[in-house]
Amino acid sequence: MDTFIRGVRWISRVTGVVAALLIALAVIVICEMVFERYVLNHTTIWQIDVVTYSIIAATFVGSPYVLLHRGHVNVDILPLHLSPRPRYWLAMFTIVLSMAFCVVLFIVTSLYWHEAYTSNWKSDTVWRARLWIPLAAMPIGTGLLVLQYLAELLSVATGRAPPFGITAERRLA
Amino acid sequence: MSPTTQGLLVLVVTILLLFSGVPVAFGLGAISIAFLLFFQGLDAMRVVAETFFSGLNDFTLVSIPMFVMMGAAIGSSPAGKDLYEALDRWLYRLPGGLVISNLGACAIFAALTGSSPACCAAIGRMGIPEMRRRGYPDDVATGSICAGGTLGILIPPSVTFILYGIATETSIGRLFLAGVMPGLMLTGFFILWTLFIIWKRGFRSHAPDFRYTWKQKFMSIPKIAPFIAIIIGVMWVLYGGVATPSEAAGVGAALCALLAIVIYRMWTAGSWWMILRDTMRESVMILMIIAAAVLFGYMLTSLYLTQTLAQAIADMHLNKWALMAMINVFLLVCGFFIPPAAIILMTSPILMPIITAAGFDPVWFGVILTINMEVGLIHPPVGLNIYIVNSIAPDVPVTKVMWGTIPYVLCMFLAIIVLCIFPEIATWLPDKLMGAAHGVR
Repeated sequence: MDTFIRGVRWISRVTGVVAALLIALAVIVICEMVFERYVLNHTTIWQIDVVTYSIIAATFVGSPYVLLHRGHVNVDILPLHLSPRPRYWLAMFTIVLSMAFCVVLFIVTSLYWHEAYTSNWKSDTVWRARLWIPLAAMPIGTGLLVLQYLAELLSVATGRAPPFGITAERRLA
Repeated sequence: MSPTTQGLLVLVVTILLLFSGVPVAFGLGAISIAFLLFFQGLDAMRVVAETFFSGLNDFTLVSIPMFVMMGAAIGSSPAGKDLYEALDRWLYRLPGGLVISNLGACAIFAALTGSSPACCAAIGRMGIPEMRRRGYPDDVATGSICAGGTLGILIPPSVTFILYGIATETSIGRLFLAGVMPGLMLTGFFILWTLFIIWKRGFRSHAPDFRYTWKQKFMSIPKIAPFIAIIIGVMWVLYGGVATPSEAAGVGAALCALLAIVIYRMWTAGSWWMILRDTMRESVMILMIIAAAVLFGYMLTSLYLTQTLAQAIADMHLNKWALMAMINVFLLVCGFFIPPAAIILMTSPILMPIITAAGFDPVWFGVILTINMEVGLIHPPVGLNIYIVNSIAPDVPVTKVMWGTIPYVLCMFLAIIVLCIFPEIATWLPDKLMGAAHGVR
């Protein structure tokens, strides 16, 4: 089990790096676009698509990393005030619910991607980008989110990680 | 089931689920899918992926990671410390100069980063120990920094305004401009209150025995000036209509990152990674909520809940100011518990038709909503800034920090009232610089 949890965490960290690099790419492309458009007075074709799709891809692919570091913001007022036992069950409930959502999202985005790939959908912009490429980020990201949630479920269930990441010192009540 | 019953059911389930501690993005998504499945069956699932993707497929949204990166680059460098020192060197001999330099540094840092917690942490780290060293009461030292930090989301550039602009299709440039004067007014209120309370408690702030030389004063400027120049440049490009928010912010982000690297010699890959990682973490969190909120909005609209609520409120024939008071109370209560990004994305599409039908200016309302969100940042039980200040000054009890913030919450209420009486404080600057058209992005 430890190997599985470590493996998933490693994958999430790698995808975090990929997402950060996609954002860096977006910044560089925006600068290039501004230079072409306002300095050279050229018409830009591919830049807006590349930047927008990079940010979308970064959002989905970076999501497991953000989950790993508890960066997806939540309202933790109730968990902070609960005693350990109910907090454990509440954590299990929220993990299972979020995981169920990610599973549904994984299925619908995979089907959507498949349709885009087989029908060769193109973007309605000048560049006519092949949409299956940016759309692939959705099933990849949500699939990895399911794995990261599974790792979290196992960690909390076996006492390897505290529920909601709340350690004894952080409790308010 | 009638739309009203459905609406109540959605409301209760949403509140219960958000309070369970589930991540806001996944909670909203799960609620949307559950209700779509329940009321419209499996067929409704066809649009989920498309809605999720199209919710993010907007070039304007790119401005969020770009502005976040600007803030991350400045926040991860010691620029906050230098800004604080520069102001202190120039203002230290004024009576109450320390208060002015603290809150002034918060206001300027707010313009540089647009993030409330970053502002609180950067200025508080120097400001709180310095105020306490010079004998300021603990609750004033911590409370003023908590409050000053909230200016981050009101003084442009502000991610809160971008989210509101996107959710309601209001001009982001106009919103940014509308935040300037209320931001300065609120800074003024904070300063006046702080000076009043330290005077009332019989405390006279003394300048330290030493004096800064003119050379020391001028030497404090060069490190800070380039960042301020970039921000002014970005704003100028934005308001001048030269470039879109995403283009201006993208170039601004690149320049801020480069400057931070050059001025503060952040040559190591580790410090570059820190800037990118912080940008990615915050952006992914916000963008995920946006995608889920778009799905949530789709669910509300396709079940006719938004329309039913707007109609129900219109049928009540409320006085427009009674309506505004109700909306403010609602937003305040939400702000006590739920993060600003989630509130704005969830509520503004619902509130917008109500606001415009009652004859309020959407840009003005954006400012009112943002001040409401600021209250939530320094008000228990969540009050993010309180905990950030607590981590900077752990020996000051949290309850003392909370009591210290209460007068500043009242300052914000006062600002809301003043803005209701004189809406021009928010609308004059955008009208003057961008013409009087409204609601066009």
